[in-house]
Amino acid sequence: MNDHKPIPPKLAERFLLWFIRNDLAEEVLGDLDEKFYQTFEKKSAYRARLNYWYQVISYLRPFAIRKSRSINSNYIFMIRHNFLITFRGFKRYKASFFINMIGLSTGLVCALLIYLWVNDELTVDKFHEKDDRLYQVMQNFESSFGINTIEWTPAPLAKTLMDEMPEVEYAVPVYPPASYTFNSVVAIDNKRLKARAKYAGKDYFNVFSYRLIHGDRDQVLHDKNSVVISDELALNLFRTTENIVGKTITWEQGEFAGDYAISGVFEKIPANSSIQFDMVFNYELYTSKHLELQNWSYNDPCTYIILRDDARAEVLSNKVADLTKTHDPNAEGSLFLRKYSDQHLYGNYENGVNTGGRIAYVILFSVIAIFILLIACINFMNLSTARASRRFKEIGIKKSIGAKRSTLAVQYLGESLIMAFLSLIAALLIVQFLLPQFNQITGKQLALGLDSSLLLSLCCITLVTGLLAGSYPALHLSGFHPIKILKGNASTSSASLWVRKGLVVFQFTASVILIILVLVVSNQMAFIQSKNLGYEKDNVVYFNADSWNSGELETFLNEVSTVRGVINASAMKGNLTVNDHNSTAGITWEGQLAGEEVKFTDLVVDFDFFETMGIEVASGRTFSRNFSTEDSKIIFNEAAVKSMGLIDPVGQSVKLWGRERQIIGVVKDFHFESLYESVKPCFFRLGDKSMNILIKIKAGTAIETIAEIQDLYQKKSQGMALDYQFLDEAFQRLYASEQRVSILSRYFAGIAIIISCLGLFGLAAFTAERRLKEIGVRKVMGAGELSIITLLSNDFTKIVFIAISIALPVAYLLAKNWLEAFAHRIDLEWWFFIGAGALALIIAWLTVSIQTIKAARLNPVICLKDE
Amino acid sequence: MKETRLGEFEEVILLLVGILGEEAYAFKIAEEFESQTNRSVSIGAVHSTLNRLEDKGFLTSEMGKSSAERGGRRKRIYTITASGERALEASRDFKLSLWRQYPAFATGKLDFGLK
Repeated sequence: MNDHKPIPPKLAERFLLWFIRNDLAEEVLGDLDEKFYQTFEKKSAYRARLNYWYQVISYLRPFAIRKSRSINSNYIFMIRHNFLITFRGFKRYKASFFINMIGLSTGLVCALLIYLWVNDELTVDKFHEKDDRLYQVMQNFESSFGINTIEWTPAPLAKTLMDEMPEVEYAVPVYPPASYTFNSVVAIDNKRLKARAKYAGKDYFNVFSYRLIHGDRDQVLHDKNSVVISDELALNLFRTTENIVGKTITWEQGEFAGDYAISGVFEKIPANSSIQFDMVFNYELYTSKHLELQNWSYNDPCTYIILRDDARAEVLSNKVADLTKTHDPNAEGSLFLRKYSDQHLYGNYENGVNTGGRIAYVILFSVIAIFILLIACINFMNLSTARASRRFKEIGIKKSIGAKRSTLAVQYLGESLIMAFLSLIAALLIVQFLLPQFNQITGKQLALGLDSSLLLSLCCITLVTGLLAGSYPALHLSGFHPIKILKGNASTSSASLWVRKGLVVFQFTASVILIILVLVVSNQMAFIQSKNLGYEKDNVVYFNADSWNSGELETFLNEVSTVRGVINASAMKGNLTVNDHNSTAGITWEGQLAGEEVKFTDLVVDFDFFETMGIEVASGRTFSRNFSTEDSKIIFNEAAVKSMGLIDPVGQSVKLWGRERQIIGVVKDFHFESLYESVKPCFFRLGDKSMNILIKIKAGTAIETIAEIQDLYQKKSQGMALDYQFLDEAFQRLYASEQRVSILSRYFAGIAIIISCLGLFGLAAFTAERRLKEIGVRKVMGAGELSIITLLSNDFTKIVFIAISIALPVAYLLAKNWLEAFAHRIDLEWWFFIGAGALALIIAWLTVSIQTIKAARLNPVICLKDE
Repeated sequence: MKETRLGEFEEVILLLVGILGEEAYAFKIAEEFESQTNRSVSIGAVHSTLNRLEDKGFLTSEMGKSSAERGGRRKRIYTITASGERALEASRDFKLSLWRQYPAFATGKLDFGLK
């Protein structure tokens, strides 16, 4: 046995001391020692040690454990103290608290709403499983106007890609292209419903991950006589989605009219898909009726492909560039690949180069969100630093009893974080309340679903806001010298004054820029709305009559023109508010130079089109039923005549796709495309298939006239309801996204101004308070109220002037840049700038005046009696 | 109002405090418990019960002397209070009255030396 006595295990002892109540430590350690030595003597050192551990662990009972188990309770105490100080500060200076609270939560509301919107935009079309390998084949055409980029591709392309390119896993053709659909009637028994259809290659559901509820994704589109329908359509037709595979439905679209067997049911296309439809037919069904689509020179369907895992898009893109030319020596287009999910945000091409698209709005709004949040943070910084003098004593005492600079910095950061989280709670409530209105403006279905990614972003936004807002005060306040501030001669340094002024300048600069941009955007939008389009869009009703043949169309037009209140009726292929007109370079004319080529837009119309739309004729005549050979005639617009260089064109002949046509008239230019574009050359020819009917009705008789048209239509179409639209409304929808941006930016600019003013208000209040004695003395000496108001306002006027002078050039450049996207745009008037500047100044004055007037009217006795 | 009834273990501990007198501190009580009942118990469990009994007002305690084998640390000596004694008596009387109503005991077949 060992000579020296063993001692109880040190680790167990330390463990015991860590958790046990201080007042029990002595007696317990004593008892355990006695037990230890007793066990040691009776048994062994080993047993004694083991028993000691057992005894220590058996002391893990509620009565023996100390209440707060922290090692350093001082730390906890300080945190508690900081909280207390923060809340006392809130309670004591209610005005600054509310200004901060309103400012920060408004900023957060904006940021949150924009976050939701941006997030939604970014996820459009991204839900397809193979999104990273899903590409669309695009086509560039060179013409005298530069490169034209289109989504339509040669009809046999998909099959060729599948056969010849090993990199391609799946390739499907889809018609009609892009987001267009064939709209017609689907019927079972006596139920008739409108539906939107696509014709797609058999691997469609392998390429796109629209979920199939019934049917196999490899099989559903195999048969020409089968159709896949959405569960929504199924519910409307059958009231169920079960056991309908194999049932027959009737599709009434013109040449494809007939019975089709349902081979599958897919889940309703999600809202964040840019392509929406109700049913999918087999693509070969379409080509069987359009044999020209075997030909490489026809560009009709869109082609979507899935690359193999190991294939590189750029490589394939180069490989397919000249694919058309190898199959058709006359083809002009060159192909390239674009990621499918890029189409929503990066849909614009200019001269063959991608120029973005909606991403511009996404960026714009993200920038606005950041700016507004920044402005709100600046308010907080400004007010906290301005209020620093109220905390001189606290800081001085804390520092002299040993608080480190970092301790104080942590305290102020904590304060701003608490503020930020309180604001977040308020902001969440406000967002929840505002979301319906916001959805109405944006046309989206956003919801505040608290999923993990949203929560994470919320925490991040709030944390960043809190830290940003608290950073300057934390650094500034914690840097004071204790002796100086306790002596009472610490005046705020001129540097910090500069920073504060700089921050206000920044706020107002941002606000003025926003005001100017809003003025420009809304003026441009108003300009577009009121622009003379070259045709009359008011009181024109139009609807789709794709499913009618020419005879039906003709009789309907005849009947409808007898309705009282109908001025004129006609039809055209396509629509004046949608940029989906075909264009062709297939026109040759006399005097054409070798190699000279002009791309003409092909507008197929019916008789009376120009009369119905109020398009002016420059020379010659329009199509007339009085002549029998109108099919071989052609009408141009002035732009076309100009680009061909024809003099006195009426009566001359041109060749269209090799066939001679006589020019019977020239019409004045009108906008048949979006106003982003200038008017392009176009020609008009008569046609009779797949038309939209246009009816001009007398102003003020809309309701009764449409009711009669509806009756007529229902007779013709076996009881289908008329699905009509007003042309002017459709036109407005064309600019819906601009309209939305305009409305939203107005709100956000307003909010930015309000937040800036809150900051100014707080600062003015503070200045007035600090100069109270000075004001008192001045008043005693005989200063008038007006001179005191000017004295106090002067500072702020200077600041706002500086802000305006910075903002004007920046806003000018930004506005000019934005306007350049429009072919038809407003001039930047000087009053936009002066007006915005004046507005900012007046708002600033008003805000400050509330405080200054209060200060100026104060009885000097009150503020001077203390000394 | 605190719970003033005694549990079985509490009653034994309370009795042991009375038996040990001047030497009634946690370690000794646990020792005594083990040797008298042949049941093992941790000092912590005993200490916890002592603490509870003190809360109920059946015990008081004060710090006593230190000794070498305790590393010079003092011990906490427990003493029964008047209400502690009353609680023990009440407990005993209650059990006796139960025993008296027990027929086998009443007929004298069982004898615990209690008359």
